[in-house]
Amino acid sequence: MLGYLVLSGITTGALYALVALGVVIVFKATGTVNFAHGDLFMIGGFLAFTFHVLMGLPYLVALALAVAAGFGIGILTDRIAFRPLMRANLVSLVLATVGFSFILKGIARSVWGGKADLFAFPPLISPDPIFLGPLIIIPQQLVAIGGAALVMGAFAAFFRLTRIGKMMQATADNPKAATLVGIRTDRVYMYAFGVGAAVAASAAVLMAPLTLLYPDIGFVLFIKGFAAAVLGGLSSLPGAVVGGLVVGVVEALAGGYINSSFLEVSAFVVIMVVLVLRPTGLFGATAVRRV
Amino acid sequence: MTMLEARGLGIGFGGVRALDDVSFAVREGEIRGIIGPNGAGKTTLLNVICGLVRPDAGEVLLAGEPITGLKPNVIAGRGLGRTFQTSQLFRGMTVLENLMTGLHGETRAGLFAAAFGGRAMLAEEERAREKAWKALEFVGMERFWDRPAQALSFGQQRVVEIARTLISEPKVVLLDEPAVGLSLNRLAELDRLLRRIRDERGVTLVMIEHVIRLVMGVCDRVTVLQGGVVIAEGTPDAVIEDARVIEAYLGRRVDARRRAS
Repeated sequence: MLGYLVLSGITTGALYALVALGVVIVFKATGTVNFAHGDLFMIGGFLAFTFHVLMGLPYLVALALAVAAGFGIGILTDRIAFRPLMRANLVSLVLATVGFSFILKGIARSVWGGKADLFAFPPLISPDPIFLGPLIIIPQQLVAIGGAALVMGAFAAFFRLTRIGKMMQATADNPKAATLVGIRTDRVYMYAFGVGAAVAASAAVLMAPLTLLYPDIGFVLFIKGFAAAVLGGLSSLPGAVVGGLVVGVVEALAGGYINSSFLEVSAFVVIMVVLVLRPTGLFGATAVRRV
Repeated sequence: MTMLEARGLGIGFGGVRALDDVSFAVREGEIRGIIGPNGAGKTTLLNVICGLVRPDAGEVLLAGEPITGLKPNVIAGRGLGRTFQTSQLFRGMTVLENLMTGLHGETRAGLFAAAFGGRAMLAEEERAREKAWKALEFVGMERFWDRPAQALSFGQQRVVEIARTLISEPKVVLLDEPAVGLSLNRLAELDRLLRRIRDERGVTLVMIEHVIRLVMGVCDRVTVLQGGVVIAEGTPDAVIEDARVIEAYLGRRVDARRRAS
């Protein structure tokens, strides 16, 4: 029981971590929390569903297309909900992303069906569980964990090694100096939204075969990812990964040992406990600098 | 040839005229000092020139071309560098990485090339690294290349910041009090460095400085600001003798006597 719960906690946690990475990269670059981030995840999932299930494209092609489309919609978020308001105050910015979240949800409902519609994404590999001693493993979980690890690795390499990553780092640390060394900071904000949404879309495609897709899944995932990001300090990329895993495992254990209705609440409990005990999160010594 | 020119620059914050009809012209290869009491508008002037603040009157020309109202990153791309009183190096990056950001504005590789490697991208990265290394050697800081920027002393950070502006081969560099807090030895080094930047790199320098020893030693000409207005301009020797300048710094003797009586 414990082994199974931890493993499924790590699986969902790894996907929360991907969502959290997107929240963190946008926050680091722009100082704003993108409340539409979960809906970017949701749209990514539905696009993959369209490509894979409805159009019959191979899973990996659907994944690549959904990630590319996610990047595009992320850039759209920047254009619609961030750039026009860049100089406005934080509340206006956050509300604009909330508004954009409703727009995306509305689009998903009108394109992919009504409120209660659930879409099943076929599993990639045999859904039969493997029994490894006391451990029950669903192979799809391993695919999700492996895929999440790959995306995280690519993301870290992108951030550390590429020039765009360095430009993002520079802009996050000191926008004024960045613009004075010739960095186009508005471009950097755009890339941050794009990359964040692309990572969210990849998480959705990895998660879809494990669960069902529905238009409101975005908010649920956003809250989990946001809890993970806050736990990690909101501006730390490794913090987002650790935070995601912690939220995933806590949730699975709470659901398994206390009550399954606790599963949904536990992310909120994590947010509250962190904000009370350690407002800067586990990794975020500088988190309070911007807001 | 005039490299940097201000024509009738003016800007107000609320009711205060921070700059009022400020005009001056800096020749190519000149080292220009800008002095004046605190609150004279010196830093505001640099902020207007580099595009951080938009003036409400007048214009700025860089190598004869108007740059007024352009974005700071565009102005930087046209060949204008800038350093600050307090270090604006990026934390969490090494000294060498900080220098390399100075070239990021001119990268031609697109996002996808940048994200997914590619030979052109790697070559460009290598070129940036080489340039950064050369600039570090030029300012004599190469042994600190892999230190985190924030681990250096403030004086060293300012020198690294100067190197970061040099890497993109600017025409003009604006320096805001480069000598703050330096010892006499370091001051002599800075004096030499500024001359070498001008002589070997052909960069025109405009610097705000309170350390009169450096201004007298290194500047070709000095512009004096007070209350947002240019009150004198000339060689350092001439300016320092100017009655209005003495008055700006020390107050008017006659006034003092009158008030006393």
